[in-house]
Amino acid sequence: MKIAVLSGKGGTGKTTVATNLFATLEKGMLIDTDVEEPNSHLFLKPVILERIPVKKEYPVVDEELCTLCGKCGDFCRYNAILPAKKKVLVYPELCHDCGGCQLLCPTDAIRYYPRTIGNIYTGKTLSGRSVAYGDLLVGEVSGVPIIEQLREISGDEKIVLIDSPPGTACSTVAAVEGVDYAIIVAEPTPFGVSDMKLVVEMLGALQIPMGVVINKAGLGDREIYDYCQSERLEILAEIPFSKAYAKQYAQGGLLSETFPPFRETMELILDKVSKAGGRELL
Amino acid sequence: MKRNEIAILSGKGGTGKTSLIASMIPYFDKLVLADCDVDAPDLHILLDEYNRTEQDFVGLQRPVVDYDRCVACKACVNHCKFQAIDESIKLILGKCEGCGVCQAVCPQGAVSMQDNVVGKIFVSQTEQGALVHARLIPGEETSGKLVAEVRKKAKTIAEAEDAEWILIDGSPGIACNVISSITGVSKVILVIEPTLSGLHDLKKVQTLVRGFHIPILLVLNKADLSTEGKAAIEEYCQEQGLEIALEIPFEPKMVEAIVNRKMPSVYHPAFFDQIGFKEFIEKVQA
Amino acid sequence: MKIAVCAKTTGMDAQADDRFGRAEYYVIFDTETRSSETFENPAKGEPAGAGGSAVRFISQQGAQAVLAPELGPKAVDALRAFELAAFRYTEKKTVRETIADFLDGKLAKADVSTTKSKHGLRRA
Repeated sequence: MKIAVLSGKGGTGKTTVATNLFATLEKGMLIDTDVEEPNSHLFLKPVILERIPVKKEYPVVDEELCTLCGKCGDFCRYNAILPAKKKVLVYPELCHDCGGCQLLCPTDAIRYYPRTIGNIYTGKTLSGRSVAYGDLLVGEVSGVPIIEQLREISGDEKIVLIDSPPGTACSTVAAVEGVDYAIIVAEPTPFGVSDMKLVVEMLGALQIPMGVVINKAGLGDREIYDYCQSERLEILAEIPFSKAYAKQYAQGGLLSETFPPFRETMELILDKVSKAGGRELL
Repeated sequence: MKRNEIAILSGKGGTGKTSLIASMIPYFDKLVLADCDVDAPDLHILLDEYNRTEQDFVGLQRPVVDYDRCVACKACVNHCKFQAIDESIKLILGKCEGCGVCQAVCPQGAVSMQDNVVGKIFVSQTEQGALVHARLIPGEETSGKLVAEVRKKAKTIAEAEDAEWILIDGSPGIACNVISSITGVSKVILVIEPTLSGLHDLKKVQTLVRGFHIPILLVLNKADLSTEGKAAIEEYCQEQGLEIALEIPFEPKMVEAIVNRKMPSVYHPAFFDQIGFKEFIEKVQA
Repeated sequence: MKIAVCAKTTGMDAQADDRFGRAEYYVIFDTETRSSETFENPAKGEPAGAGGSAVRFISQQGAQAVLAPELGPKAVDALRAFELAAFRYTEKKTVRETIADFLDGKLAKADVSTTKSKHGLRRA
């Protein structure tokens, strides 16, 4: 069963819930697809066994074969390749790696070369659990290729927890598509509700069943509960706002290991998600 | 008149960017607000908007298939590097990057690239100044272009209204939408929290901003959450020559203000005096 | 020869724009016929690569020189590759006045980038 943990709004507790669900599960794999700012490994502390560079390709023009016809520049929608007076300028970081310029080149003057846009780290926790996370290099425009590769790596695993990126754009879609269930972690504040609505819309369009965990409950108002009721969204659990929890989190601690009520909440969530997905998780 | 654009970022989400900007607003005359967190715009929630206009935003083009011409040869499917066209020649929206290869390879001329609305841009007036914000249709493409458009509109309004300041609410992360939020700004404010995650994420976003040679002011929010966390951040800042320009202890009234849809510095002015907010603003406006 | 000038609106009396790659318009002035034509900049909305794309467009309109306020490194590379001469203006004047300054030899050559590109990041 593939379970995504996402939030829309940042900082609501995605990683907290994902890593603690993982720790409570005792089986399965976790992948951290927030490749711009991955955090799960800070809490799970896996021993890294492999670093896999993720590459994208960019065009290199053979000046001997190039006739400066301009077809590549006319085609490219990203301003990555510009035929000039005596040579063709290429901006690798703008290239989306679509293959169009090579296809259109009448003299077969274009070859593609790889460059690294980020890395995937795979490893095992001290208790032997598999964890993988992606890390996009600073300056790169999109982490989607890394996210897709992370999903591929975990493709054969029976149980996968996916710590997803914040927001609702293409990175998040790449992280959650095809999952069996989505856990939305939301906070009961006006920002939390507003951003949650966008996530619900996105998941609806992707036809992914979902449930809600309300984190930092007590630090806000009732609006989110009313919203969940009106949308018939199952509230899987509430995690109360607690300075003790916040402090542990601040230090990189796994709350389910320190606070029994927190662990119980994780078990409750897993139980409900199993039932919703029709699979045995625990 | 020199126009100053200031971007407020965080790297990690949920550290208090929007609450901070909302608190800063009353201290600026002649202001335009640009909410560039287009995935999850929040600033408008705290402000009373009027005269809101909206405009469709067209992103990269998308292929449209003329099924009368299509003979299902699958040239498009085979050439699409993003696997955005499925075996039944239907577009998988989330994967398409608008490159146009499908149109180029179709032997029947059955594929045409057409304009595609990916979001909406809103321009409104508030008591504090004009607000430009946008909403990306959930699941749609990378939002760098939409962010650029929000900024452009904000600039145009600032010129028309002779506004000296543009405050930009950025999004979490370090990718294209964040990059589009900071090009050409005169200062970046990074809002961080004293947690392990906060420090980790600070490193990347700080590297990004430094690559653009933009001066940085740090705001440590929920500063009393963890003494170890705070010490780690201070040590890192010292190593990197970064200035912590403001410390905000955890204060439930900040959340209360947001819940009541009020600007925190107006809702609880005593707290802001206590933490030296005026001095922080002076540093921002310097 | 044809000279391209960055402009905020159309025509010779428009204010010269303070951006190059994202200028609203380019006014192309022909020094022989003394006539001008204004083109909307197709690259102005681009989130990335506007500089290079703008240079290509200007070159395609037959310009041989560009008057610009600032130039990022991509634009400088592109200008060199397209064999366009570039000159920098620093004062807020109209297109007409800026061209006059150029013809009087008052503008400095701009062959080094004046701004940092947003993709000018060097990784180890």
